[in-house]
Amino acid sequence: MSFREKSAWITLVSVLVCFGVYFGSILGGAVRPRGIETVHLFLLCAIALVLLQIGLHAVAARLDPHEARAPRDEREWLIQHRSHTVGYYVLMVMVLLLGAPAHFGHPVPDLLNFALLDVVIAALAVSVAQIVMFRRGA
Amino acid sequence: MPAPPPIANQIRRLRFEHGEMTQADLAQRIGMTRQTVAAIEAGKYSPSLEAAFRISRVFGTTVEAVFQWEE
Repeated sequence: MSFREKSAWITLVSVLVCFGVYFGSILGGAVRPRGIETVHLFLLCAIALVLLQIGLHAVAARLDPHEARAPRDEREWLIQHRSHTVGYYVLMVMVLLLGAPAHFGHPVPDLLNFALLDVVIAALAVSVAQIVMFRRGA
Repeated sequence: MPAPPPIANQIRRLRFEHGEMTQADLAQRIGMTRQTVAAIEAGKYSPSLEAAFRISRVFGTTVEAVFQWEE
């Protein structure tokens, strides 16, 4: 598995874990969805995501330092461009769907969480697309 | 995802004829990852013209001797 594919897996898993905890806590009732605790939990999850990404990438780079230092080759650039195109369309669809909760009168904090969910799903779509393309060859 | 174009290649044979060169060796010489060389060799990825020239130069031959369009 190449370093870039490992990187895509790291992003997928870390985003799933950190924002899984965030949205799981809100849906499970562990925090009040419209309270200040939600903001604190978001900050905690965002910091955890950054630390997890740095730590796991450092481990992956240590396993294969040569490949980690090497710039992306043309196929890796192509996969990155294609996966970001997938993520862009997913984000556009999700943002359009954001009109539904807005239409039904959800308050602004809920809409912010829906918007955050849109970004998270788009990020997951990018990682999944990269992994699929790396597995397929291009 | 579009189907790959019908391009055959002789990379595996040429590697064998050049001292059983590994995919990693070839990848290092053309500035690509081993996975990309494997994808090119398997016909899953069509390299750019520049990469095709780099590969053919490593083997000391022409692009046409490495890559063929199959109708």
